[in-house]
Amino acid sequence: MLELRRITKSYPGVVALDGVDFTVYENEIVGLVGENGAGKSTLMKILIGLIQPDEGSYTLRRKLVALRDPASATRLGVGMVFQDGSLVPNLSIMENLFLCHELSFRKFGFLSKRAMQEAAYSILALVKVETDLDTPIADTTPEVRQMVEIARLLWLARLYNQRNPILILDEPTTVLTENERQTLFSILSEIKSQASIVLISHRLQEIVENSDRIVILKDGKNVTELEADRASIPDVEQMMVGRRFAADRYHEDEQVEPGDKTALRVQNLSKRGVFEPIDFSVRRGEIVSLVGLVGSGKEAVCRCITGLEKPDSGSIALGGKKLAWGSPSETVRSGIGHIPIDRRSEGLALGMTVAENVNLLVLDRFKVAGLISPSREKRNAMHWIEECRIKSPSSWTMCANLSGGNQQKTVIAKWLSSQIEFLVLDHPTRGVDVGARDEIYRLIRKLTHDGIAMIIMCDTLEEDIGLCSRMLIMKDGRLVREISCPRFKKPSPSEIIGSIV
Amino acid sequence: MVEVKRDGPAKTKETTTVRRKRAGIPAIYFAVMLLLVLVFLFTMGNRNFLSAYNLNTIASYTAILLVVGLGQMNPILIGGIDLSVGGLMSFISVVFVVSLKTIGIWAFPLCIVVALMAGFINGNILTRIKIPSFIATLGTGGILTSLALIVSPLPVDAPPSTYALLEVVNGTLLGLPNLLLLTLAVFALFYVILRFTTVGRNIYYVGSNIRMSWMSGIDIVRTRNFAFVLSGLGAAIAAIMQSCSQYGGDPALGKVYILQSIAAVVVGGTALTGGTGGAINTVVGALILGVMENGMNVVGVDAYFQQSILGLVIIISVALTFDRSKTATIK
Repeated sequence: MLELRRITKSYPGVVALDGVDFTVYENEIVGLVGENGAGKSTLMKILIGLIQPDEGSYTLRRKLVALRDPASATRLGVGMVFQDGSLVPNLSIMENLFLCHELSFRKFGFLSKRAMQEAAYSILALVKVETDLDTPIADTTPEVRQMVEIARLLWLARLYNQRNPILILDEPTTVLTENERQTLFSILSEIKSQASIVLISHRLQEIVENSDRIVILKDGKNVTELEADRASIPDVEQMMVGRRFAADRYHEDEQVEPGDKTALRVQNLSKRGVFEPIDFSVRRGEIVSLVGLVGSGKEAVCRCITGLEKPDSGSIALGGKKLAWGSPSETVRSGIGHIPIDRRSEGLALGMTVAENVNLLVLDRFKVAGLISPSREKRNAMHWIEECRIKSPSSWTMCANLSGGNQQKTVIAKWLSSQIEFLVLDHPTRGVDVGARDEIYRLIRKLTHDGIAMIIMCDTLEEDIGLCSRMLIMKDGRLVREISCPRFKKPSPSEIIGSIV
Repeated sequence: MVEVKRDGPAKTKETTTVRRKRAGIPAIYFAVMLLLVLVFLFTMGNRNFLSAYNLNTIASYTAILLVVGLGQMNPILIGGIDLSVGGLMSFISVVFVVSLKTIGIWAFPLCIVVALMAGFINGNILTRIKIPSFIATLGTGGILTSLALIVSPLPVDAPPSTYALLEVVNGTLLGLPNLLLLTLAVFALFYVILRFTTVGRNIYYVGSNIRMSWMSGIDIVRTRNFAFVLSGLGAAIAAIMQSCSQYGGDPALGKVYILQSIAAVVVGGTALTGGTGGAINTVVGALILGVMENGMNVVGVDAYFQQSILGLVIIISVALTFDRSKTATIK
C-alpha cells in the first residue's frame, strides 16, 4: 500500500530520521511508538507532505511519489488527524466536513445544500456521529470533533477516488474519556475494512490492544516491528527506551507513611452546579489522588484550591491558616504549587530560558542591593536543573527547545525551588515519554520525603493507584468513596472502577 | 511557513529545529550587522558621513527617538502596543513650554508626573476595562493630541528668560552634550529595570505567557500598568528633550514618533508578540533608523524615494531579526 524506504531527514545539529523504513498495508491498524524525540512526528509529517525527506523513497500504491504539501497528500488519500484538532471552531460540522472542497456540490453555479447534507449524513454514519449538522464545532465534544475529522478524511479520499485511504491519528485518546476511547477504537476497527490507520500514542496499552502491527522507533532509527498479538507492554517499553523498568513502576518502595500533621484542610467547600459541599484533608507527605469522570467536579475542586476559581462557600486552610478565595497570587504566596495539565499554555514561558522559568517564583531571593544578581540566579537554576535531572544543553536554553518530559521537569523545578508545602499535580505525566515519566515519579516520591503534601489527578487509574496513598472518588459533584492505597497493598483497578462510573 | 504552523503542538519538532538553526545567533547580531553595513554604505557614498559634525546630528536625532523607543518597548514586551506616545509627546511639549513661563523649573517634574499618569490610565484601560491596548491607546492618543491643540493651537516659542532652564538639555557637562548624557541615563534606567528587577522580569513573563504568569502568582494587572507607565515616562522625557533643543513647544511634535518608535523597537529585534527583546535591541533599532534618516540625506537620495527605502529597510531588518517561527500565526 504505502512504503517508505531509507528515509533520512536531518536538521542542523540533529538527525531526526536516519534511514527509517515504514510500511502500511491495506486494511490494517499500525501502531507507531517511540519516546519523545524518537522521530515519530517527523515521520508523520513526511507521510503527509508537510516536510520533505532529505533522502529515501516514498511509494504509494506501487507508484513513486514526491509530495510537495499536505494538499497533494490529501489528493492521494493520505491524511492526518492532529493532536489538538485542525477544525475551524466557529463553523458548523457540515462546513468543516467539506471545507475548501465545497465546489464538488455545485449545481447550476450554486452550492446545493441538500446534496451536502446527504453526503454529510452518509459519511458521518460511518463514524456513528448523529449530531445536528449545523452545530458549530466549538459546541461539540472532543469526541465528535475527532470523528468529524476522521469522516472528513474518509470523504476526501472518496472525492479523489482513492480506495483504502491512509488515516494518521496522532495521540487521538488524550482528550477522550475511558468510554469514548472504547467507542473510538470500535469505530476504528470497523473503518479498517476500507482504510489503513496509523496510530500514534503514548499509551502503550491501547497500541498493543488495538493495532495489528507495532513499529518502534528509537533515536530516529527503526528498532523493530512486531505483530501486536505477540507484543507485551514491558517488551515494547524496553525496546523504546533501551532498558527495562523495574516491576515497581511507581516506586512504591519509596512511598512514605504520611505524618500526623494536617497540611491542607478543605471544609464545606462548594460551588453551585459543579460540586456539592465536600470536606477532606491531606496530611504532610501524603499523596491524595482525586479520581472521577469528566464532570465529576474534581478539576473544579483543584482549581478552587489553587485559586484559579472562586468557590461559593467553605474554607481552605493550609497548615491551619485560612486561604483567600480565587486569587492565585495569594495561594502561591502561602505555599501552594500547581503543575497544570497543559504545560505549554499554563506552565511555562516557552520563549524564555530554562533558568528564567525555574527562577520565576524566587527572583526576590537573588537580590543584592535591590537588584537581581545574575550569578545567584544562575547558581539556583543550575542547582535545580541538576536536582530534577532536566536534560538541557545549558541553563539559558529556550524551554521551547526541550522535550515534553524535560519541560515538565522544568515546571516541577520551578515550584520546588520556591519551598512550597502543597502541590496540586494535574496530569503530571501527560504527553511525557516512558523514561521521563519514571523520573517524574521519582521526583514525586522525593517530595513526599520532604513532607510536601499533594493532590494528584492522573492519566490512568493505574497511575493514580500506584502513586497515591489515599484515593478520593468523586462522582456527579460529590465525594462518594475513600480508598486507602498503602504500599504493596494496593487495590486493583477493578475494585475501584465501579464507584467511578 | 504557514503550512507548518497549521497544527499546533504537533509542529513542535519542526519549529524547534527552525529555532535551533537561529538559536546560535541571537537576533541582535543581525541588527548590529545591518547597522554596520548601512554605516559602511553611507561612508562610501559620502566621506563626511563619519565627520564629527554629522555624527553629532545623527546622535541628537537618534537620542530622542531612542528615548521614546525605550518607553514604547515595554508595552510591546508585554504583547501590547502604545499608540498614544505621539499624542502624549505633543501634549507634554506644549504643556512644558507653557508652564515653563509660569512655574519655571517645576515644569520638568510636572510634565513627568502628567505623563506617568497618562501611562497609568492607558494601562488601566487595558487591565481593568479590558480593551486591547491597540484600541485603548489609539483613543487616548487622539484625546491627548486634541488636548495639545487646546493648550496651544500653534507652536509656541520658549521666552528667552527661560533659556537658562533649557540648558538642562542643551548644555554640556565635561565637554559632553547633556542631551547625550540624559539619553544614556534613560537607557541605563530601562536596562536596569528590565534586567535586574522583579517587576522588569515580570514584564517578560507576562509577555511570554500571561496565563502562566497569572497562575504563578504574578500580579499581571500591576505589571502591565507598569509597562504603560514606563512608556509614558519615555515619551515625556523625549518630548522635553526635543522641546528644549528647539526652544519651543509644538502641538504636532509627536506625530512622527508613533510609527518611528514602534519601528525602532521592532527593527532592533523585539517581537511584537511580546516576551523577547530588550533595551540594547532598541538602541540598535533606533540607531538603524537614525543612520538611515540621516545617511540618505548625506548621500543625496531623492527625497521622494527616502520613505520607500526606509520602509524596505524596516521590512528587511525585521525579516532578519524577528524569529518568525516563534509566533503561531502572523497576522
